[in-house]
Amino acid sequence: MHITVLAKVVPDYEVPTADFELTDGRAHSRYTRMIGLYDENAIETGVQLKEAYGATLTIISYGKTQDVTVLRKAIAMGGDALHLVLGDADDPFVIAANLKMAIEQLGNVDLVLAGQQSADMDRGVVHSILAGMLDYPFLPQISTIKSEDGRWMVAQAHENGIRRLEFSGKGVLSITSSPKNVPRIPAVRSILAAKKKPVEKIDGIPGTPMPVAELSVEIPKMESVCEFLPLDDMAQTCKILLSKLREERYL
Amino acid sequence: MKALIVEVIDAKRIGELVTVGRIFGDTPDVVALGTGDIPGNYNKAYCSDAAVGSNLIDGLVELIQKEGYEVVLLSATTVGAEIAGPLSVRLGAPVLTEIIGAKSDMTVTRPIYGGKAMTTFKINQTPAILTVRRKYFESAIAEGTTTPVPLAGAAGAIRLVSEEAVVTEGIPLDDAEVIVSGGRGVGSGEKFTILRDLAGILNAAVGASRGAVDEGWAEPTMQIGQTGNIVAPSVYFAVGISGASQHLAGIANAKCVVAINKDEDANIFKRARFGIVEDYAKVVPALIQALQEEQ
Ligand SMILES: Cc1cc2nc3c(=O)[nH]c(=O)nc-3n(C[C@H](O)[C@H](O)[C@H](O)COP(=O)(O)OP(=O)(O)OC[C@H]3O[C@@H](n4cnc5c(N)ncnc54)[C@H](O)[C@@H]3O)c2cc1C
Repeated sequence: MHITVLAKVVPDYEVPTADFELTDGRAHSRYTRMIGLYDENAIETGVQLKEAYGATLTIISYGKTQDVTVLRKAIAMGGDALHLVLGDADDPFVIAANLKMAIEQLGNVDLVLAGQQSADMDRGVVHSILAGMLDYPFLPQISTIKSEDGRWMVAQAHENGIRRLEFSGKGVLSITSSPKNVPRIPAVRSILAAKKKPVEKIDGIPGTPMPVAELSVEIPKMESVCEFLPLDDMAQTCKILLSKLREERYL
Repeated sequence: MKALIVEVIDAKRIGELVTVGRIFGDTPDVVALGTGDIPGNYNKAYCSDAAVGSNLIDGLVELIQKEGYEVVLLSATTVGAEIAGPLSVRLGAPVLTEIIGAKSDMTVTRPIYGGKAMTTFKINQTPAILTVRRKYFESAIAEGTTTPVPLAGAAGAIRLVSEEAVVTEGIPLDDAEVIVSGGRGVGSGEKFTILRDLAGILNAAVGASRGAVDEGWAEPTMQIGQTGNIVAPSVYFAVGISGASQHLAGIANAKCVVAINKDEDANIFKRARFGIVEDYAKVVPALIQALQEEQ
């Protein structure tokens, strides 16, 4: 069984709005780089499958050489190999075409896992475009995966509840967060060992971007109008709060 | 612009997409997932019992090409996520997801960086596929109903084995006028009980941040934010929630946010209308008491 996880390195997703700045429509380069949060959930899920079924786990990323050090965390968590396709496009069709190339080079991939959405582009679409390009079935928001008699049994965190779904053959799954796939914190010796792992670098292809033009990127203003309530007597504070909520007809 | 909605049979969800469709032109046609009549009047309405969106792609490709739809509208929900990408590849169509703004000249706005920035795109080719973030557009009022005709071609690789619907105690988040939401600061699953008590008196629904869901203190269906429920209540109580931009993305259209957090620098106070800088374990019982005294 060969599983690949798609992982993307992004600028720190916890930077608060007040400290957030753009240069040329993208996050300022001073923010710490890290693997996206859902991508780490996907890596964790991949590592768990490796542990359960003795699968081989290859991490695939599309991005820049500088991010290799960040991506090594995926190896420290339990990934067997790291393949990086070099490129810097944001277009989802271009990214997917490059990932497809890397997957086809590997040749024997059974299942492709990805984070539900990247922690910078907020769109949750690259994995499903990739599935379309590979002509594999695609399922989003998967929380657990089991292999039974050559079929995949998966649970999907659907907004209406949990769905149990089944399919055979290859597939692309996006992974959502659950208490069971909170990413593990790798041990120091795993981090040191991961530093020595060779990284397969692949030259990117241009691909065909979508026929859309990005006109502008803006940071919306957050107007702070918070009224802080007095704290001397909590019973009184709560009464004030309730009467203000009623006065302004919120309650 | 000839538009087509693909959505489960749900008046509010379809209504929001009708609103977006009317920005681009007339009332769109609709493909409804499920059985029964569709709320609202449509020129053409189709239905499919395909349980899984992925299995619907073939049928949709055929319909869109035959009828010449220029815009396909889906909600940014599980179903939307399932269909939008693969459909775009099959149609060779551009796809923009989680849009929160749209204009008749085919410019659309969507967030990036966890909602810390907004991008505006001009779409230069049709058909185009859009998924629309919930609660950002008014739901058009549905008058009457339309009886749909079945859409062909709902076979596929995925089999639905079973479905466990979520049983929400009390009021569903989607309809709630008041929401009491807890974050990592609540401290444990048991301590969520006090939030349920408060919600009970306020006739409110209970929500959670991803922090609380990751800890296992709240169900994933309770998550509010960019990748959880998008809500627009009149009052939103954020209890022990730091106010990460991805959480705020879920409450952008809440009218009044009340933040209870012991850290005065917490980002949530930048979004809140009223703030109480104190341990919630002191505030929430006092609030319950004050509400009981009023009754
Ligand atoms: C792609 C992506 C999507 C995401 N989607 C979502 C989403 O949909 N929803 C979401 O919520 N998050 C989402 N996140 C995660 C988000 O970035 C934050 O990590 C998360 O919201 C933090 O949850 P929290 O505020 O509960 O926890 P924390 O950030 O840990 O905050 C806890 C807060 O509780 C306060 N506190 C502690 N003890 C007390 C006390 N006794 N009384 C009062 N206050 C107290 C602290 O001061 C602190 O402010 C997403 C992240 C990514 C990258």
